Amino acid sequence: MRALGLLMAVFGWLIPVAALTWTDSSAVRLTLCLVGMAMCLAGILGFLNGAYLKQAIWKR
Amino acid sequence: MRSCIERLRRSLLPAAALMLLCGPAAWAENPSPPTTSTQAAPAPKLDAPVAVNEASPPAAEEMAQGDPGGSKTGTVNDIAVSDSKKGLTLGDALNQIGQNKVAINFVWTLVAGFLVMFMQAGFATVETGLCRAKNANHTMMMNFMVYGFGLFAYWVCGFALQMGGVGGVANLGGTAPLSSEFSLHAAGKGWGLFGTHGFFLTQGGTYDVAVMVLFLFQMVFMDTASTIVTGAAAERWKFAAFAISSVFLAAITYPLFANWAWGGGWLSQLGANFGLGHGYCDFAGSGVVHAVGGLTALAVAMTIGPRLGKYNRNGSSNAIPGHDLVLVLAGCFILAFGWFGFNPGSTLGASGNGNLRIGSIAVNTMLAGCTGSFGALLYMWIRYGKPDASMSGNGLLAGLVAITAPSGFVNTVGAAIIGLIAGVLVCLSVEFFDRVAKVDDPVGAISVHGINGLWGVVSAGLFADGTSNYGGSWNGVSGSVRGLFYGDPGQLIAQLIGVVTLLGFVFTLSFVFNLFVDFVVGQRVSAESELEGLDIPEMGALGYPEFALKAYREKLPLSGVGKAAQA
Repeated sequence: MRALGLLMAVFGWLIPVAALTWTDSSAVRLTLCLVGMAMCLAGILGFLNGAYLKQAIWKR
Repeated sequence: MRSCIERLRRSLLPAAALMLLCGPAAWAENPSPPTTSTQAAPAPKLDAPVAVNEASPPAAEEMAQGDPGGSKTGTVNDIAVSDSKKGLTLGDALNQIGQNKVAINFVWTLVAGFLVMFMQAGFATVETGLCRAKNANHTMMMNFMVYGFGLFAYWVCGFALQMGGVGGVANLGGTAPLSSEFSLHAAGKGWGLFGTHGFFLTQGGTYDVAVMVLFLFQMVFMDTASTIVTGAAAERWKFAAFAISSVFLAAITYPLFANWAWGGGWLSQLGANFGLGHGYCDFAGSGVVHAVGGLTALAVAMTIGPRLGKYNRNGSSNAIPGHDLVLVLAGCFILAFGWFGFNPGSTLGASGNGNLRIGSIAVNTMLAGCTGSFGALLYMWIRYGKPDASMSGNGLLAGLVAITAPSGFVNTVGAAIIGLIAGVLVCLSVEFFDRVAKVDDPVGAISVHGINGLWGVVSAGLFADGTSNYGGSWNGVSGSVRGLFYGDPGQLIAQLIGVVTLLGFVFTLSFVFNLFVDFVVGQRVSAESELEGLDIPEMGALGYPEFALKAYREKLPLSGVGKAAQA
C-alpha cells in the first residue's frame, strides 16, 4: 500500500511533465495537470496515509 | 485645448531629454555654445577632468562649522576618485552612480534578509505557544537549532545546488561566478537540475560580495522552510531525528526545488521552452518555501503518527490546546512583520529594473494577511459560535503564505481575494487533516504552509494582472506576467506543473528520506517520554520549572527559580 501510494504520487508528477513534450494543446496539458494532481493526492492521502491509519497507534 | 497641450508636450519632451543628456557634458568640459535639437552633442570624454568648483562644494572652513540642516553633507567631494593626480573625471562620477545603485540594492536585500531571519523568533513563539508547557523547551530548541543545522548544510552544499547556475542577478551587480548549471537534454530542450558553483561559498570563484548578499537572503528563506516542519512534528519528535531530517531538507530537498524555480532550472524555463506563460512564477516562495516546508511536514507527521491521546479508539479526535495563546498571537505579529522582508525583499533591490513596485508588494502583503485573518475569524465564528484566537492567527499566516507567490504580480483587489480564500481554506484544511485524514498537526503547519502554499502558487496563475515589469522580462520571457483572469491560460498550466512537482517529487523525496531516518535512529520518542513531556527526557531541562512544580509536586529535579519556589 505504501509503495503503491508513493508510485502514484511520482507518476502523478511525471504525467503532466512528460506531456509537455507530447502536445502543445493547452486544454490537454491542463487536463493532464489536473489528472496528475488527483493521482498525487490519491496516492498520498488515500493509499499512503491509509496504510499508516491501518496500524495507527490509537487502534492498538 | 487638450490637443494643444499634448502637441506642446510632444515637442518639448525630446528637447528636455536632449538637455538632460548634454548637461553632464557641459558641466564636465568648458562651457560651449548650447546645442539645438538638430545638432548632435559631442560624446563626453569619460577620463576628462571635471571642474569640481562648478558643483560649488562647501569649503573646509564651512564644513568645520558643522551641518545641522544636512544640506552640505554628501557633495561632489565625496565621490571616489580613481586617479588622484587627474582629479575627478566623468567616468568616476558615472561609476559612483552605478555603485550607488548596487549599494542601495545590497542594503535593501540585506535588511530584508535580517527581517526574514527574525521570523525564526515568530515561528518559535507560535509553535511553542501552541504546544503544551511540558514540551516548551523541546519545541523552542528545535526552532532554535534548526537555524544552525540549516545554515551549516546550506553553506556546505545547499546554496551551490540551488543558485550555482543562476547566472547574473542584475540588481546585485552581476553575481557572475554563479554560472554553472547541470542540465539534462531531452526532447530538444535543456532541463536544468542543479547548480555546481558555490560549495562552501568559495568553490567556483564565489568568494564575491554579491554572492554573499544573495547567500544570506536565500539562506533565511531556506531556514523558514526548515522550521515549518518542527511544528507539525512537535511533542513527539526525537531530537536526533529532527537534526538529521533538517540537515537533509536544507542540503538537498529545498535546494533542488528552489533551483528548478529560482536558480534557472527547468520549471522556470517552462515559458521559454514550452510557451507556458513566463514559466513557473513564484515571486517570494509560496511554493519554494512554504509548500516545500508544509509537504515535508506532512511526510514527517505521517511517518511519526499522532500524539498519544489525540485520537480515541473509535477514531474521534480530541483537542489538545496549547499552553500560551499570548505567545501564539505575539508570534503571529512577529511573522507578519518579518513578511515585509520576505515579499518586498524578493525584488533583490530597490533601485532599477522596476523595483519601485516594492510599495505595491508590501501593501499586497499586509492586505492578504488582513483578509486571511478575517476569513478564518468569520468561518470559526459562524461555525462554532466564537471568534477563535489561534485560528485567527493561522488565518493571518495563511493569507501571508498565499500572497507570497503572487505578491509581485497582482493588484490589491487580487491580493485581498487571495487572502480571504486562504483564511477559509486553512480552517477547512485543519478540519480535514484532523478529522478525515487523521494526521496530527499540533500547530496547523501542514494547512497553513502546505495547502496555502499550493493555493498561493495557483493564485499567481489566476490573478497576475500584467502590470509588473521587472526589467522587461521574467524567466527569460519578455513582457509581464499575466494569469488566467488576465488572458494567459499558459501561465496557470505552468503553475499547476509546479504544484504537481511539489506533490509528486518534493513530498516523495521527503517521505523516503524520513522513512530512512526512522529506520536508522527512530523518529518517535518513547511513550513514557511523551507522557512525561519531552523537556527532561530529550533536553534535560524544563522550559517552565515552576509549572512542573505545580504539576509534578516534588518529583522532578529543580534548579534556580524552581528550587527557590519549592523552598
